[in-house]
Amino acid sequence: MTDKELIRKIKELKEVKPRKDWVVFTKSQILGEDVHSEGVHIWSVFQWRTALAPVISVLVIIGLFGFAQYTVPGDLLFSVKKVTETVQVGLSSAIEKPQLRLELANKRLEELMRIAQANDVNSLGPAIEEFQGNISKAAEDLAAINVNVTTSDPVVLKGLMEEAKELTQNKKKVENVLGTQVGDTQDLESALMQLEKKTAAHLIADLEERTLSEEDQILLEEAKEHFDAGEYSLALEKIWMLSNK
Amino acid sequence: MSQLRKQFSKIYDQNVERIYRFIFLKVSSQEIAEDLTSEVFTRGWQAYKDQRLKTKDQKEKCDIKNVTAFLYQIARNLIADHYRQKAQAQFVSMENVTPVVDTGVNLEEQALLRSDFDGVRTALSNLKEDYREVIVWYYLDELKVPEIAKILGKSEEAVRVQIHRALNALREKLRGAHK
Repeated sequence: MTDKELIRKIKELKEVKPRKDWVVFTKSQILGEDVHSEGVHIWSVFQWRTALAPVISVLVIIGLFGFAQYTVPGDLLFSVKKVTETVQVGLSSAIEKPQLRLELANKRLEELMRIAQANDVNSLGPAIEEFQGNISKAAEDLAAINVNVTTSDPVVLKGLMEEAKELTQNKKKVENVLGTQVGDTQDLESALMQLEKKTAAHLIADLEERTLSEEDQILLEEAKEHFDAGEYSLALEKIWMLSNK
Repeated sequence: MSQLRKQFSKIYDQNVERIYRFIFLKVSSQEIAEDLTSEVFTRGWQAYKDQRLKTKDQKEKCDIKNVTAFLYQIARNLIADHYRQKAQAQFVSMENVTPVVDTGVNLEEQALLRSDFDGVRTALSNLKEDYREVIVWYYLDELKVPEIAKILGKSEEAVRVQIHRALNALREKLRGAHK
């Protein structure tokens, strides 16, 4: 096995991640334990009863939104969660949008996993539909990225590609557990490949204009070889190695 | 204090996945990895508060990279303690411990085990401590050589050599597993 193949296999272990709900819960346990040591005396708040009413209403609404974050498609409060997500996406920039959509699609996969673990058959259909919706929109947003205008920042694009790769891996995991396909990611994969191609072409053209060291020149030549062979993600790996020195 | 909490919250968010993965790839149990990771951050938070409260008058800038190294140190110590306790209970050599997989493994872990990188995961968990650590830090957590050198208290050259040897050792483990 070559070093490259071995490193690729090692990097697949990035799939090992903690459960998201455990992460959130643990954080609140660790950082929340110090609330009382700050000297906040809760009893004193109730002395201002009339002023509290609007505050409590706001807190109830925030609590509702907070609680809604743990819902899955099919649950009553899931629409509340969707509103939060829609607003988030609406406020994001052209380069943040596809990243956000991919993160949401990954969230849908986590929800599918929770549904599978709970054997909640009724929520399965809506959850798969939501996932497919997120995937289609992510593919559209990826296709709309113009590397000359929106961004050609290799770090940003690397983040996008890693999120998409994580999505593909998570999807396989969920499909293994459910024993069924949960959606078609062909459009997404095609959009991603086109983005890799456009990005690699743009970055190679940019690097050819610069004065490079001998070592960097070798990396650039390797990148160009991969590009010519249609291996766009490998071409980008070489370019990122160049940028990270 | 709320400013400290905000800072450590950011540190938590940036490091919880890598610390968890670092521990899980040794102990191979979600439950144990969660317990130890939680302990890492509990201790880290306590130390962070103590140190920052002492220096707040000097308005020192928070050095996230040092905190990461510190968290890894805690994690290494906790893993060592964990296996020391296991060795005392079971009289098993630490170097030869077979990775313990949770018998109450959940569906997510089952999927993980069925995937095709299980061979690499097992080989990695069976690797010598020093080798496994540098592989996780360099290739998975993408720490730079100077950062790893700081954690280990070694020279950068020594770390580069260790990474190279670790990769070869992993390749040999995998080769041995496929025979």
